[in-house]
Amino acid sequence: MKLHRYLSSLLLGGALALCQGSVARAQAPTPAAKTTDTVKVGVLHSLSGTMAISETSLRDILLFAFDEINAKGGVLGKQIEPVVVDGASNWPLFAEKAKQLLDQDKVAVTFGCWTSVSRKSVLPVFEEKKGLLFYPVQYEGEEMSPNIFYTAEAVNQQATPAVDYMLSKGYKKFYLLGSDYVYPQTTNLILLEYLRSKGVPLENIGGGLRKDEAGNIISAGKYTPFGHTDYQQIVAEIKQFTSGGKACVINTLNGDTNVPFFKEYAAAGLTAETCPVVSFSIAEDEFRGLPAKQLVGQLGCWTYFQSIKSPENKKFIEDFQKWLKATNTQGIVKQGRVVDSPMVLSYDGVYLWKKAVEQAKSFDVDKVVAELEKGISFTGPGGVVTTQKNHHLTKSVYIGETKADGQFKILQEFKNVVGEPFLKGKFKAAVTTPVTNAANALAVAHP
Amino acid sequence: MATAAHAESPRETVAHAVVLTDNADEQRRLVSGLAGNSDPDIPRLLNLWKESGFFIATAPAGGWQGLAEGAKVAVTLGDDKDADDKQAASVLATGAPLRDPAGQPVRLVATDLDNADTDFDLRLAMKTVLDLAAVTAADPVQRRQVVEQIGLAQDPAKLPVLRERVKVETDAHVQQALRVAIALLELRSEDAATQIAATNTLGAVRALSARDALTTLARETETTRPQVARAAQAAGKAIETHLQVVNFFGTLFRGLSLASVLLVVAIGLAITFGLMGIINMAHGELIAIGAYTTYLVQNLFGNGMALSPFGWSFRLPGLNAGGWFYESYFLFALPLSFLSAALAGVLLERCVIRFLYRRPLESLLATWGVSLVLQQLLRSVFGANNVQVYSPSWLSGHWTVFDVLLGWNRVFVIAFAVAIIAGTWALLTKTPFGLLIRAVTQNRAMAACMGVRTERVNVLTFAFGSGLAGLAGAFLAQIGNVGPSLGQNYIVDSFMTVVVGGVGNLFGTVISALGIGVTDQGLQQILGNPVLGKILVLCAIILFLQWKPAGLFVTRSRNLEG
Repeated sequence: MKLHRYLSSLLLGGALALCQGSVARAQAPTPAAKTTDTVKVGVLHSLSGTMAISETSLRDILLFAFDEINAKGGVLGKQIEPVVVDGASNWPLFAEKAKQLLDQDKVAVTFGCWTSVSRKSVLPVFEEKKGLLFYPVQYEGEEMSPNIFYTAEAVNQQATPAVDYMLSKGYKKFYLLGSDYVYPQTTNLILLEYLRSKGVPLENIGGGLRKDEAGNIISAGKYTPFGHTDYQQIVAEIKQFTSGGKACVINTLNGDTNVPFFKEYAAAGLTAETCPVVSFSIAEDEFRGLPAKQLVGQLGCWTYFQSIKSPENKKFIEDFQKWLKATNTQGIVKQGRVVDSPMVLSYDGVYLWKKAVEQAKSFDVDKVVAELEKGISFTGPGGVVTTQKNHHLTKSVYIGETKADGQFKILQEFKNVVGEPFLKGKFKAAVTTPVTNAANALAVAHP
Repeated sequence: MATAAHAESPRETVAHAVVLTDNADEQRRLVSGLAGNSDPDIPRLLNLWKESGFFIATAPAGGWQGLAEGAKVAVTLGDDKDADDKQAASVLATGAPLRDPAGQPVRLVATDLDNADTDFDLRLAMKTVLDLAAVTAADPVQRRQVVEQIGLAQDPAKLPVLRERVKVETDAHVQQALRVAIALLELRSEDAATQIAATNTLGAVRALSARDALTTLARETETTRPQVARAAQAAGKAIETHLQVVNFFGTLFRGLSLASVLLVVAIGLAITFGLMGIINMAHGELIAIGAYTTYLVQNLFGNGMALSPFGWSFRLPGLNAGGWFYESYFLFALPLSFLSAALAGVLLERCVIRFLYRRPLESLLATWGVSLVLQQLLRSVFGANNVQVYSPSWLSGHWTVFDVLLGWNRVFVIAFAVAIIAGTWALLTKTPFGLLIRAVTQNRAMAACMGVRTERVNVLTFAFGSGLAGLAGAFLAQIGNVGPSLGQNYIVDSFMTVVVGGVGNLFGTVISALGIGVTDQGLQQILGNPVLGKILVLCAIILFLQWKPAGLFVTRSRNLEG
């Protein structure tokens, strides 16, 4: 059905464009004439299935960005024509839809994906067909495709600054908890290395370690499957872990599994003051389905918060709300909308791409990527973001504290953090001698 | 500087600190300076600050009395909002009304003012101050918590306060907490004999909280004071042993509570599937209906709610209840959840299931279809997002008995499960209706011959089973997510519990729930991995069913169908 509609609109568009070419000089330029000169841009998100709750917001913000650009004359004089496809929270389907975007629609660029597994499934498609994808959601790193730009937070733009903050506040024990998939597992392994490089002994890292036969640590922390409901045991463990004080939880649980966790957490008498939880997957948008009361005072770390006070951010939020009111695209929720980091990074991605295209004076993927690699800056709602040669962004990182209204109060800002995807093995443990002496050995100068 | 701070009353100090919004360090210093001050005003002021009760006003052109133009002053606002939303402003430092140069009281609008914010660091500083003040608090529970935290912080400066208190403390629990806290602080002592005495105290009372401190001490003194290290290690070992006992009982309790959740979820199915033989795949959605009823009741007790099912919007007014009345919403939600799910059960039975009594496989397919319809219905009415159900405060606390954490919600579910089982058992065995149910389930044709209106008994039995599912939903809303697919998460667990227990046997369901719950939690504790435990339990169940295909307890009847 949908495909059919796209195909027919494509044909119609083509036909119109031909007519236009032959009669354009005879006619005065009209708005209709303007719209026929378009560039197709793909939007590849899950609009149904489990991830739809998060991903539809990204679709909305992208359409908003396109409308904003189109109203100001488009890109290189061409209007952006979004081609929205639904990945339906089905990872193989993501690859199929990516093929469709690149082969049939011949989009100049695609904005999309949320979960790492969806990104991994479209990656070979984009590499084979020489497409360009902008990926906006915080991820585990260890990847750098020539055909993907990661506007997302790398681990060193979210997890390690958060740990730095907790260390600076005197926290000594870290309990790692996450959903059982690639992002939490990888992030926690990197964090483990990072914590040890900061002199935190192994015994102060909670959640358990798994080693392979050679004794190398292959997994750190506690993992629960999606949809897990029984957190009694884990909370009891955290309660014991924190009984010595100065402990915090690093939480990479995804989606609604956070609800039973935080309910159990509160029932055990644990609070942000006795044992704060730093969450990496709870942003403003997720609060629409979470018990905000039970999360007050807990911490988050992102490269954007809606509560940032800057003229750019104010305008961005106002314009988005205005657009929401005016838009008549089907399926857009208009009430109670907020913006969060993945949305802003999607938005930033659109503008970075626009700038790169304008500098390259071409929609050709190779030329655009070359411009992006040279370093392009854009002042977005969260501050200045700059593209790097390694396809990541330099941007500011914020630590925030949850308030009862689902917004964050910003506690600290780390300015211009360079995105670094390959972190595994980068942080050397402070000592190789028995870990029990780590704290003392820190004081000793390096040999 | 120090003398100046002493000259100020705590009230003035707080007022002074509130306006220093640009200087967080100074704010923190001023607040920390209040520590040890016994002025009863301090806790009230700091709590008010935390709850955003203070505002910062900037003097307009012309200034206010005692304030030049542009000067900032901390104010509190009165309760008397007038037509322009203006409230009477009082200067925080003095408590006197804020006056303009002409001497007239100033009235201000709250939204025009800056709210005096607090951040994480400042609140920690406040907490220290409040903690010290709370050592003498009236509530023993609060005193104990505070003392425990002071102990963990191991700040020797607080030792005198604790030593003073331990002399006058009358509550035995607080007395114990004080001894532990003092010992913890004494671990930091320079004197080896004091340190050893402290470790012995900690070992003797089996203080779990001292584990880390003792490990650290043992490591630090390993070379310098071996006798202290040895004492610390011995105390650590004693605590470690104690911890194993605690974990054993903790696991038992958690296993019991998981078993109760399973039981509560499965008991409805034990009736509809076990006794009546209907494979009801929509059982999960009946649970979801119960959970959503709880959500509705909660909102009706609160501020009401807006619903827009099928593009038709309307607003349900709320009772705007507060305090204990609002907290009691759950007590009303329980019977209503039962009724709403039972009603859904009646509809389901009348419209679908009654045509399928002799065709169990068709009933499986048909009820699965119904479950999809119900899910979509919930989605259309309440939206695809999860909804928030707040636990009343009497369900979100905990007791600590013998260092085992007993969450009130968990204690509640255990009692709840016991009550439901007792009620169901009594209904089935002690009432005339129970007799009819048993007659019909054992031999429908014979019961009909004896004049039993089997149709009616079927409807009522199915409604009862569905109602129990609704009760389960009401409770599950307290511990987990409420969303359209809530039922899907529990349907497998329900069938598993009933099948393992032996279809048609309530007692079997109880035993199987207990077995699965305790095994699951035990394996989780031993393996330290929540996923692996569950997998092993499922494997065990498969093997068990190979050995005993009819479950734990086989019901034999003369029913020809069976």
